[in-house]
Formats: sequence, structure tokens, C-alpha cells
Amino acid sequence: MFVPVSSDFGVRRTQRSHLTRYRHALWLLTKRDLRVRYSTSALGYVWSILDPLVMAFIYYFVFVVVFQRGGSVGEDPYIVFLLAGLLPWMWFNGAVSDSTRAFIREAKLVRSTSIPRTIWVNRLVLSKGIEYVAALPVLLAFALFTGGSLNWNALLFPLAIVMQAVLTIGIGLIVAPLVVFFRDLERAVKLVLRFLFYASPIVYGFSDLPVELQPLAAFNPLGGIFSLYRSAFFPEQLNWYPVVISAIMSVIFLVVGLWVFKKSERTVLKEL
Amino acid sequence: MPTPVIRVADAGIRFRRNRGGRRNFKDLFSGNTRRSRPGEFWAFRNVSFDVLPGEAIGVVGRNGQGKSTLLKLVAGVVIADEGVVKVTGGVAPLIEITGGFVNDLTVRDNVYLTAGLHGMTKREIEERFDDIIDFAEIGDFVDTPYKHLSSGMKVRIAFSVISMLEEPIILVDEVLAVGDRSFKEKCYRRIEEMLAGGRTLFFVSHNEKDLRRFCTRGLYLDKGKLVLDGPIDEVLDRYNAQYHS
Repeated sequence: MFVPVSSDFGVRRTQRSHLTRYRHALWLLTKRDLRVRYSTSALGYVWSILDPLVMAFIYYFVFVVVFQRGGSVGEDPYIVFLLAGLLPWMWFNGAVSDSTRAFIREAKLVRSTSIPRTIWVNRLVLSKGIEYVAALPVLLAFALFTGGSLNWNALLFPLAIVMQAVLTIGIGLIVAPLVVFFRDLERAVKLVLRFLFYASPIVYGFSDLPVELQPLAAFNPLGGIFSLYRSAFFPEQLNWYPVVISAIMSVIFLVVGLWVFKKSERTVLKEL
Repeated sequence: MPTPVIRVADAGIRFRRNRGGRRNFKDLFSGNTRRSRPGEFWAFRNVSFDVLPGEAIGVVGRNGQGKSTLLKLVAGVVIADEGVVKVTGGVAPLIEITGGFVNDLTVRDNVYLTAGLHGMTKREIEERFDDIIDFAEIGDFVDTPYKHLSSGMKVRIAFSVISMLEEPIILVDEVLAVGDRSFKEKCYRRIEEMLAGGRTLFFVSHNEKDLRRFCTRGLYLDKGKLVLDGPIDEVLDRYNAQYHS
């Protein structure tokens, strides 16, 4: 009971452009990631929100209740300020730390399917990004609930998301192939991420940094991106100077990432 | 003369001798220097051949002579260090066929995922879904998580999905050594059917009987070179003369 083998195979396939196939495969793998995550746990979506929420309450407790925020760090309501930085951080952190295993975990699939290899990184950024966007209503709910206000700067959100996607893809493209050769890098990346959490304006704002540190801190591209997100609730957090630098840095990361990836792809495939 | 579907010209690929040895950044990025570095060896070099549509090629050679690597080059899952490998038209690779399957998802989800990754659209999969399941003979397990299938069932569904791809080129790498005898025979009949339908076959095996059954032309890889490219019987005789006398 076989399907009759048609004689025109290949004709239709070549008509579908590379871009369509790329998007198709990227979307399939992203959907797979999300489905696996949600089908194996009873709470599903709740987990992707619970995690940042619990973290936010811990930081809230430590910095507001215990340290009383040293007087004036961040903005009020602090929980909204915190979440506006913490949620995108979870995206960045999740995608970058997963990208250390992008090839190793999927070695069998990479060895047997010839889809464009950048998909292995991009799908991680996309699936974590979708989780981030899905968690945004929680942020909005907190803003309404605590009497915060949304302003026109919210229109900058898409820009910030694009910048963060560019940055995260760039870093993922650097990290993913290199880890295949230097397994130590996996732990190094985790360590750097932990450092970066406190080195980035998440529990504090960019302007809370000492003035002499600010020019240096502007080169952390996350600073500018987070200030864009935060400006939706706190207009005075918008500081174009780090934003412009982080846009440039993000593009540089992407270019370097594409270069590293292209150069090492051949060797990565042999190593898997 | 029809245009070749696979063109391999002066292809070569090298590997490291000691996996896990020390690496440095220079190794990583100097992708296309032609000379061999210490600790590396060429799996093969200067391999050239054309494959016309509808041909059935068997690759013959001892272990470690680069047969599977050649297949992977054609499948596009590794990249040659020198030379050109050009494949026109899609490829249905029967290589590590169960690799794309996810344990936690159901058989149904897995079929859509794997077939989709190999370029089938959702509608094409829907049209074919029942045939895929029928061929694998696992109709009762469509909504069972993949991890609960027996290992035989896993191979059956995987073979079934890949063999339903409407690609003009089929690559087979000894996957058929698995499964029980009746299913194996079923797979062979499926391959013969696809051949009869005008597809191109690229076959790697140690089994002489299988090679003679499917293939018309043979490629003999030995000591890093393509030693002989000719009718399969001639190639096998030469191989036997050299190593089994």
C-alpha cells in the first residue's frame, strides 16, 4: 500500500525559496522546544512566569525590605522597575546559556539533517524570546496593580526587542560553535552570565551608577536595551547615550558572530 | 546527456587523528589551507564523479575508508575541505534516521517534526500521514510518546517517514541492518520501488548481496582515493580480489 511515486518530485521543492524553508525549519524547531517544555510539565506556562516572579520577590525582599534600596536606587514602584529588567534578562540568560549546548544536545539531529546551521542557535533565541513576550502581560499587570503608569515610550519596546534579539543571536553564534571545541567554555559562560547579572542595570538603573563608571558601563549592550524597556514605565530612565552604543555593540556582536560561525562551521560538523 | 544530480569534483576531507586532543583557535579558523597539519589525516582526496538521475550507486570499501563520510558530504551534513560537492535537488537521507525524534513528544508530533525538517509542508504530511503510519505498522501508537515505543518500532517509524519524502535522491547508510527480517524485506521493496520510480540511490553497505541487488554502479574507496568507478560487479570483484582472497 505505497504512495505512488510521482515523477515530478523535486520540481515543486526547488520553487520554494531558501527563505521559506529556513523559516519553516526554524519555526518547527522553536515549536518543538516550546512543546517539549510545556508538555512535560503540568504547570507549563506558569513556570516561565513563576521563575522571574520568585526571583523578583527575592530581590525585592533583599533590596527594599532589608537594604531599603540605599535610599534612591531604581524607581517606584520598584517591583515594576525590577521586573522590567529581570524578564528580558531571563531571555538573554536563558538563550545564551542554552546556546552552550546548542550543538551538543542536538548532535544526532545536526548530523542527519542539512538545514542551515544557524537555525540551531536562532531557535533558542526565538523560543526564549516567545516566552519573554508571553510573560509581558504579567509585567503590565504589576504596573497597573501597583499604580505605575505606561507612557508613549512603550512604542520603543519593539526596537528594544529587535536590539536584544540581534545581540543574543550574535553572542549565541559565537558561543555555540566554540563550546564544541572548548568544553570548559560552557562553565565559563555560566560564570560570566552570573557576573553580568550584577554588572548590568537590572537591580539598579543605569543612572544609579557612579558617573565615572557610566562611560564604561555603556559598553555593556544590555544597559541600553534595558533602559529602553524601562522607559515605558519610567520616562526618565530613557538615556539615549547607552542606547546608541548598545545598538552599535549589538550589530558588532552579530557581525562577529556570523563570522565566527561561518569560519568554524566546517570543523564543528566534523567534531560532532 | 542529462545533467548530473550529484557532482563531486576533487573533493577531499580531513579529520583529526586524536579526538579530544588539544585545540587552539588557529586550527579552528584556518578552514581552507590545503596542506595537512600535524595530527590530521585526509580521509580521502581528489574524489571526482558525477551521478546521473536514476543511477544506483553503491560505495564499497573497507572500514574507515570514508564511505559514510562521502555519503554525509552528499547529504550536506559535513562540508568538504577541498573541492566541490554539488547536489541538485533534494535529498532523503536514511542516515541516523531516529536522530530527529524527540522522546517526550507523541509519534504524531514526531512525524510532523521530522518530515517538516526535511522540507515537507504541513499539507503534504497530512496527505501522507496514514501511509507513513501504515508502513511502520504502528497504527495503535500514534498518540503514544515516542519514548514508549520499542526500539524496533522506533526504527520502523523513522524509516517510514524518511522514505516517504518525495526527494529525487535517496541516501542509505547501513540503516537497514536493523529491524526484523520481514520489515527489512519491506524496506528493501520500498527502496526498489523508489528506484523504479526514477530516483537516484546512493548506497553504503558491507553486504555484497544488497549491493548487487540495488546498485548498478560502484565506487571503490581505498587508502584515501577513489580507486575504481565502474559497474558494481566489477567493483566488487576487484574489492574481493584485494581483500578476501
